[in-house]
Amino acid sequence: MESDPILLPIPISYIAGSYFLFSIDAVTYLRREHHICGVLSGTLPQIPQQNVFLGLPLKLMPEEARLLVEKGVACIVDEVNAQRAGMRALAADDRRKYLRELEAQGAHAMRLQTSRKELQREEALRKVQAKKAAAAAKKAGADAAPDAAGATAGSDEPAATENPSRRASTTTTNSEIHAPYGTTMGITPATSHPPLPYSPATSTTLPPPAVPPSYPLFAHLHADGYYLSPGLRFGCQYLAYPGDPLRFHSHFLVVAADWDEELDLMALVAGGRLGTGVKKGFLIGGAEHTRADDAGIMGEPESVRTFSVEWAGM
Amino acid sequence: MTTTTPPTPSALTTLITSITTPTPPETQQKSSQSQQHPALTHQVLHNLQHQHLWTSLQIHQLQAPSSTSSNDTTADPNPITLISGIPPHRLYTHPDEQLYLLERGLREEDLELERMFVLPTVQGQTWSLRRLAGVFDGFPLQEEFFLNKHSGSKTDKLREYYRYREKARATREWGGKRLLLAMVDRQMGGDSTVVYYVVQDGAVKPRQN
Repeated sequence: MESDPILLPIPISYIAGSYFLFSIDAVTYLRREHHICGVLSGTLPQIPQQNVFLGLPLKLMPEEARLLVEKGVACIVDEVNAQRAGMRALAADDRRKYLRELEAQGAHAMRLQTSRKELQREEALRKVQAKKAAAAAKKAGADAAPDAAGATAGSDEPAATENPSRRASTTTTNSEIHAPYGTTMGITPATSHPPLPYSPATSTTLPPPAVPPSYPLFAHLHADGYYLSPGLRFGCQYLAYPGDPLRFHSHFLVVAADWDEELDLMALVAGGRLGTGVKKGFLIGGAEHTRADDAGIMGEPESVRTFSVEWAGM
Repeated sequence: MTTTTPPTPSALTTLITSITTPTPPETQQKSSQSQQHPALTHQVLHNLQHQHLWTSLQIHQLQAPSSTSSNDTTADPNPITLISGIPPHRLYTHPDEQLYLLERGLREEDLELERMFVLPTVQGQTWSLRRLAGVFDGFPLQEEFFLNKHSGSKTDKLREYYRYREKARATREWGGKRLLLAMVDRQMGGDSTVVYYVVQDGAVKPRQN
């Protein structure tokens, strides 16, 4: 199933200091085409403790958001202001139309659900009938010698009874939908761009996100084809995967350092040992400063040098 | 009551003191040279030689790597010293290289042992990426080895392997430069443990150990 081509730039919602994506199409597109995975962060509104499987929205690291903006794939939207301005600009007619649309969608969803329930019920009834028929056939077989005609008649029986029941059930479903007490399902769209415009107004777009000094290393590894994810679980800055994290184990525990930052050797040994313990390499790197006076400037991803550390086993 | 005499120094302590203490003036020339290899280098060298049975050990002095920085015109007070030697068995095999060997039925024991560089450090020292990069730029890539071991039926395959390794080195398919980081424990009780870590230039995928 090929969905509509994604319109670029994709708006990234900036809310309370974090970067979010609300559109599932954008999420799959960025993962497939740009190696950006982010972290799913949505829980069920009623059961926020259920956090084993999370859903939309997708939360992006500032580095990921910055990278996408620099590639021209995305832009940052001040979501609170965009929503406020968008809702104010919405005419009363449009609003009513949108509400009607939502209601229609809810009714459609309800119809699908009830018809599925109907089908399941029919399935169950048919099974019961088939079982009854089989039992009857067995009984008949015990009474007299079983013949082929009897067996086929037995198997035909449920099929014959099936048709009227289905016809009956479909009529009941229809009547249910048009019934005055019939409820429509509440629809909560993940995105707000059917009523609001997809491309944000220039007044609500924000400059590229501020990023930590490890950004050049992040961009360097990303350009090398690695998928990067936050590294808290392994006590490092990023985890670098050689492919999609769903298919590969990560290769590196990544830690960034400034070119002239004083590194305690113990950190190198600890990282190397930890990495080897979990079958990964410990990777330390940073952007090279050729001159000492450009220490304050963030280096280019092309000038990044990295070193991998592993336990020598001796 | 017995009079206590200090214990006689260990072989290692004797070695290190003999190297680092000032020598009489007639050997001043030799002394100034050995002053540049402080006790640390000799401690690691001693450990490599006697604990890990390395052979043909050498000490190398690196040119000051910090010469590129404009403000740091003064000579580095701690010039970097490297040790090189040949380990008794192969220390590191890149995972892809391992696969290559496996496919051709070669074993690591069939290969010539390679000279490896060791960077002696001590716990508590601080390093920077700039210094580390300087070290990596300062020593040569492992020299190529010629087939001089008669291993019978495997000679052709070994030759093929060495030829491919040349290519792999150029493309860094099997990793770039690598060295062994040796760290001596002198704090925390100072039991003189030496730990070794393989450090490689660039992102080199980990071994499947």
